[in-house]
Amino acid sequence: MRLLRDLLRTPEGAIGLGILAALALVALFAPVLSPGDPLRIAGRALLPPFTDPAFPLGTDRLGRDVLAGILHGTRTSLAVGLAAALAAIAIGLCVGLTAGFAGGLIDEGLMRVVDAFQIVPSFLLALAFVSVIGASVPVVVLAIALGAWADPARLTRAQVLSIRERDYVASARVIGMHPAEIAFREILPNALPPVLALSAIIVAAAILTEAALSFLGLGDPNVVTWGSMIAEGRNILRSSPSLSIFPGIALVITVIGVYLFSEGLTKAFAGRRLEP
Amino acid sequence: MTIATLSRRTLLQAGGTLLASTALPTFAIAQGAGNRLIAAADSEPKNLNPAIVASNGVFFIASKVVEPLAEASFDGKDGLAPRLATSWEGSADGKSVTFKLREGVKWHDGKPFTSADVAYSALNIWKPLQNLGRLVFANLEAVDTPDATTAVFKFSKPTPLQLIRNALPVVSSVVPKHLYEGTDIATNPANVKLVGTGPFKLTEYKPGEYYRLTRNADYWGKGEPKLDEIIFRVLPDRAGAGAALEAEEIQLAAFSAVPLTDLARISKVPGIKVISKGYEALTYQLVIEINHRRKELADLKVRQAIAHAIDKKFVVDTIFLGYATASTGPVPKNAPEFYDASVPTYAFDTAKANALLDEAGYKKGANGTRFSLKLRPAPYFNETKQFGDYLRQALAAIGIDAQLINADSAAHQKAVYTDHDFDLAIGPPVFRGDPAISTTILVRSGIPAGVPFSNQGGYENKELDGIIAKAAETVDTSARTELYKQFQKIVATDLPLINVAEWGFITVARDTVQNVSNNPRWAVSNWSDTALKS
Repeated sequence: MRLLRDLLRTPEGAIGLGILAALALVALFAPVLSPGDPLRIAGRALLPPFTDPAFPLGTDRLGRDVLAGILHGTRTSLAVGLAAALAAIAIGLCVGLTAGFAGGLIDEGLMRVVDAFQIVPSFLLALAFVSVIGASVPVVVLAIALGAWADPARLTRAQVLSIRERDYVASARVIGMHPAEIAFREILPNALPPVLALSAIIVAAAILTEAALSFLGLGDPNVVTWGSMIAEGRNILRSSPSLSIFPGIALVITVIGVYLFSEGLTKAFAGRRLEP
Repeated sequence: MTIATLSRRTLLQAGGTLLASTALPTFAIAQGAGNRLIAAADSEPKNLNPAIVASNGVFFIASKVVEPLAEASFDGKDGLAPRLATSWEGSADGKSVTFKLREGVKWHDGKPFTSADVAYSALNIWKPLQNLGRLVFANLEAVDTPDATTAVFKFSKPTPLQLIRNALPVVSSVVPKHLYEGTDIATNPANVKLVGTGPFKLTEYKPGEYYRLTRNADYWGKGEPKLDEIIFRVLPDRAGAGAALEAEEIQLAAFSAVPLTDLARISKVPGIKVISKGYEALTYQLVIEINHRRKELADLKVRQAIAHAIDKKFVVDTIFLGYATASTGPVPKNAPEFYDASVPTYAFDTAKANALLDEAGYKKGANGTRFSLKLRPAPYFNETKQFGDYLRQALAAIGIDAQLINADSAAHQKAVYTDHDFDLAIGPPVFRGDPAISTTILVRSGIPAGVPFSNQGGYENKELDGIIAKAAETVDTSARTELYKQFQKIVATDLPLINVAEWGFITVARDTVQNVSNNPRWAVSNWSDTALKS
């Protein structure tokens, strides 16, 4: 709670949280706001925006409601972004914790694997992964997580390396606590905050990666995503630019929201550490 | 240089140099020599040999390098213009056809072209390996070569000369015997590094970037080719083709590479022409391929329901923006010689479709769906992909949940035509002037797995197979036409596949490109007389 208060005290945090909360509400209530399949052919094709009250943002090439697509696209974008970030951080934490705590050969081995994943551009990795296995939401999530887990792993390891030399860890060792217990109860909670601050960045990157994959036709074709909407609109960019612009704006707002939130979070953490 | 002296300016300069270096190759192509045509290509076939894969994606590039015996023509005798053959004559019993071949033709590697090459191509490639040739030349027994410029095709059963003539431009690409003999034809390197007799040589291929075709100085045609070079720039991004034309980065975009929605606008741009001629012999058909191994789809009522669920008017007006016609059956309307309108048709009627599915015993479940299907739209055209999106919605309206699977061309072809990993697929087969060439293969049984653009849905109908076999050896034209009318009736009744619409393509070119669309298969002909006005 105190963290939330600190967060809201920074302007970035307040705005970011506001945007994210609004997006979460839209995602949650998308089926209420626009019932039915958003890919349904609902009206005349290529209605311009702001002309028909039934389709405030107009319709696309096949007559699908653009507003419905954007509302439902929020779900896909947020769900994929959060799931991918969660998976990446979970993997990163486990690997970083193991490497940092175990040290020696295990550390060396795990860190070389991390190196390998950091060398390959994460987007290319996702691209290759999806095109080999086939596009569906779980595959896309996994593909994005694969390219994003290395950073949290490194950060966690660095944290663990410094924390494990602290006195309270030494004393826990002396009283005979099991190593796993020390790792999860003493070290992990203290190594977590900086990794969480990084998580917001990962979410933003994941949302963009998902949009880029969909744009290239490697998203799940059975759900509506902003990336695929932009890709479809691109074919007729010259005559109906609104089809690409609206989902583009949605994407920009989301990423800015996540970014501001992460800025606020970093500041809130920093503020806490400065206070005695 | 130390880090301290690394100023923002030096960084910007370095960055600028880097950017410029990545942009260089494009500039090199765009400026280039005067007599070079740059055309947009949208696909890179993995096998470029037109003698094995007779499809337009291959012909578009390969037809400039490897030539057929004859090409389609607007005003030539029998609708043909001679290429490697100068004349052809059939015997009265339909069992032999004699080709006189052109003299003084050389392969790109300098070896002379002879009747032995034709005999080798026919017996070892067209007949056993080619997707279309294996039907046209099914009864080819031997090719006699009494001299270097005569090839006599001998058939075990009567084969109509009319069929051979209609098929020549498509099935008769001749490849050099001396490069293929004694090798594994399917994996021969010449399938990618083509060697032919055509007006252009394939000199360079950079995957994902371009194909470079250069002038064949030894070409048999007098004063041809008129171009020094053709570059097929790979522009898989269809929205990019229109912009590239306007920016004069390319001069030609065939096969509707410029999206239909962009035509109205681009036709008004000065210096650019929009041409709908030149595709008369290549009518594309929008077809739903059905996997009859799937229990539900083996039921005629389900197939009828799917046919009733499709609003063809919407498909023509919205997806094709009117640049298409609704289909009634497997033969398109612009083949009046064979076309028969008196076949069963399926009006757009969702209620009837639902009733048919109920009758077939597939009731709607609690969530409103009856069963799920895997739907694979072919990636070759915007329209096939958009029709995939539409079909998914049309099927949802009758309680069938279709899951779309997108894949690139190679993966799509493997999944559908080799692995049979589909329930419904959307394909754009081509009607090539005679049902025996590329239409009957879509429904005939007994085609081995792996043959692209053929019946890989496991459909088998003895009566239909019988008619196809009989028509293939009926020499009399009217009797043969009558058989194909029966064929259309059976296909429209039994629905081994569902024909939705048929369309031709649009070429968009700069005004400087001359002699565009001067034959009915222009985009896939050899472009020897195509020129650039400077």
